[in-house]
Amino acid sequence: MTLERRHLATETGNRAFRILEENLIFVSLLAIVAFFGVISESFLSLTTLSTLFNQLPALTVVSIGMTLVLISGGIDLSVGSVVALSAGVIGVGISLFGLPLPLAACLGILAGALAGLANGGLGAYLRLPIFIVTLGMLEVARGLAYLVTDSQTVYIGAKIQAFAIPWGGSGVSASILVALTLVVAFEFLLRSTIFGRQIVAVGSNESAAETSGIDPRRIRCTVLVISGLLAGLGGLMNAAYLGSADPNAGIGLELSAIAAAVIGGTSLMGGRGSVIGAFVGVLIVSVLQIGLAQIGITEPTKRVITGAVIILAVILDRWRAP
Amino acid sequence: MRIVAKGICKSFAAPVLRDVDLEIPPGCIHGLVGENGAGKTTFAKIIVGLEDADAGSLLLDGQPYRPANTADSLGAGVAICAQELSLVDDLSIAENILLHISTSSWARVRRKSAHEKTSTLLDLVGLESANPRSRVGKLSLAEKQLVEIAKTLATDAKVLVLDEPTSALTAPQAERLHGILRDKASDGVSVIYISHRLGDVLSVCDRVSVLRDGKVRLTEECGALSEKALIREMAGADADFDALPRPTESSAPPHLSVRGLRTSRLPHPISFNCQRGEILGIAGLAGSGRTELLGAVFGLDKRLSGSVKIHEDGRITEVRNPRQAIKCGIGLVAEDRSKDGVFRDQTLAFNVTIAGLGGISDRTGRLIRSKEASTVGKLIDALRVRSNGVHQKMRELSGGNQQKSMLARWLHCGSGLLLLDEPTRGVDVAAKLAIHEELVRLRDTGITIIAVSSELEELQSLCDRILVLSNRKLVAELLRSNWSQQEILAAAFSEYAREDEPASVAVP
Ligand SMILES: Nc1ncnc2c1ncn2[C@@H]1O[C@H](COP(=O)(O)OP(=O)(O)OP(=O)(O)O)[C@@H](O)[C@H]1O
Ligand SMILES: [Mg+2]
Repeated sequence: MTLERRHLATETGNRAFRILEENLIFVSLLAIVAFFGVISESFLSLTTLSTLFNQLPALTVVSIGMTLVLISGGIDLSVGSVVALSAGVIGVGISLFGLPLPLAACLGILAGALAGLANGGLGAYLRLPIFIVTLGMLEVARGLAYLVTDSQTVYIGAKIQAFAIPWGGSGVSASILVALTLVVAFEFLLRSTIFGRQIVAVGSNESAAETSGIDPRRIRCTVLVISGLLAGLGGLMNAAYLGSADPNAGIGLELSAIAAAVIGGTSLMGGRGSVIGAFVGVLIVSVLQIGLAQIGITEPTKRVITGAVIILAVILDRWRAP
Repeated sequence: MRIVAKGICKSFAAPVLRDVDLEIPPGCIHGLVGENGAGKTTFAKIIVGLEDADAGSLLLDGQPYRPANTADSLGAGVAICAQELSLVDDLSIAENILLHISTSSWARVRRKSAHEKTSTLLDLVGLESANPRSRVGKLSLAEKQLVEIAKTLATDAKVLVLDEPTSALTAPQAERLHGILRDKASDGVSVIYISHRLGDVLSVCDRVSVLRDGKVRLTEECGALSEKALIREMAGADADFDALPRPTESSAPPHLSVRGLRTSRLPHPISFNCQRGEILGIAGLAGSGRTELLGAVFGLDKRLSGSVKIHEDGRITEVRNPRQAIKCGIGLVAEDRSKDGVFRDQTLAFNVTIAGLGGISDRTGRLIRSKEASTVGKLIDALRVRSNGVHQKMRELSGGNQQKSMLARWLHCGSGLLLLDEPTRGVDVAAKLAIHEELVRLRDTGITIIAVSSELEELQSLCDRILVLSNRKLVAELLRSNWSQQEILAAAFSEYAREDEPASVAVP
């Protein structure tokens, strides 16, 4: 009897705790925002918001793809370079060949998808280690980006910036809307569709997935193509934000995307993760960057702090789900 | 050593153990039985420090004993042979055993002596044929289980806890283990022996305790007990052993036809037919190719020659890979469930529906949660899967309940042909009976079943026909009307010439 009562008591105590625990990442985001809001008067302002909104779209879409790949048990290190390659294709398409913007944009995204297809074909179907394959692609795509742009920043012009410029004073741009829509869409894909379940299954036990009638190679390849495609879109967003195509764009972006995914609760071992979580991870990383810059922290210190936050996130995650 | 447990309590989401008292004197083999989810594994884990009790105490030779982990318990002379194997696939047999017993992480790996010690242990458990250097990942499930046992014996512990050590073993292999345990006991080792094979428990144990609803219901000398009495205590009610309806002869057109099937692991071509609505048994010794045959039919292994055809409504489909097999209505319950079946970190509902997601989604591929919860709920009720609900994590389910949910996976798919590799491995007697009844019921609705089992009694009571494999060859087909246990065994041994007879098998 006493045993049961004790059990009930811990049950209610646990519930409050569990709600906090499950929303830990939202709580952390709020805490970070509150922290900077208190420390710096200028933080809670429209300027901050528009800086944030400018940086957000490319990292967000790339992180979506990264999250799917990580959940399937893979990794995609090539996304940063693919962003630059896609931006380069778009820039050169418009300014050198005079292609219409929509066509050039499609070509850029297509270039990303092809890079993803190469990753998938080699990694999933030829069973080469995906870490190495995408590491190779990181170099290949970066080299291609330099080749197509002739190692120069290619000026595109105002037309493409329309995509990234906020409407009125709202701070909301087409880029941001697309990114948010994709977050919601891919979270839905992951949670509530057959395909989403299959990604989780492959990442959590490949051999059991195979006996359950799932083709692990197809799933792994598909998520890599999606990741490439989204990196291509990230290239478009990056070019729109800058008004030009920079072959040095997106250096180190893969690490920010992995960090965002992991902060958002995605496991590097596969089988677990969430797109919404990754988006909150993106917010945390970006807010941290902007906030630290505003209170006058230097670049080196900023990097130390950001790195520490990532490690802290993993520690919390381990403690949450052993 | 004498080990005493007093008032052990443990709760997870719900209480699992309440006030468990047990005392095992030196030299005693103590059986622990109970339904799936009764808390046997939890109790075993508490003894070796893998779980911490909420209340109660343990005494080892009169001294308080509270291990924080397995290193602690090993140091105190208590070792476990776990239900879910804890071997590292990528290491060799010797390395796995060494990993377990080395006292210091910095100790140099002395290969030569490790290999010698491993060989002796492998000889002891009946794995003479295995090389200590070979990778564990390559072994069959039965061989892995023997390695796990060897690993436990390597510790020279004074208290041995064996959690379903024979679930993947054939009768002769199990008998050999029992011999070892008797020797150990006469040296003063105390043994806790957890099993669902009640016959084994009664023959090898000195005393036995029954766990039900987290309490010890009975502790008695084995001599005074019958299997029936144990079952009554486990279930809390009389289970009817003769409830299984006798299978009837069927004369439907063939459902599955296998012709000249050959894979790299089945070098001799195999041909057989299976009628719709038939339960076909496959018998053979461990390593005789039973698992490989099911895998080959399901399309897991690359086929070297031959064909596997499904006849459905006058149409004939050739099965080439698992996806196609599932489309044709074939389902495989794999022998090694943790490797090929279970998604540990996902929910029960996820595990049951993963092969038949179409059944819980609309035409656009969107999952319907309410439908998922209700279909899974119905299935786990029917199979009596004990859980805290369909959203409980699979790794938190007891071994037998995981096994039942593997069957639920294919029932959910509506598969017309079930390939079952040891379908009742680790399942308690009452649930086993429930599964048998369910299988017979399915058979009566026209579902075809091919079952592999190491228990001849199970095959004999369940099947309409039995195929016998010996040394990867199909050697006999026996009908219900004319089989006998001797005949099946004789066939199972027939292809092992004297010299290459698997030493793991003592002729019974
Ligand atoms: N980590 C856990 N979290 C929640 N519940 C758990 C956990 N581990 C075990 N349980 C629950 O405790 C109960 C007892 O499990 P246990 O594994 O001890 O059963 P068992 O007697 O060994 O059964 P089996 O014969 O099937 O192996 C089960 O209902 C199981 O779901
Ligand atoms: Mg158990």
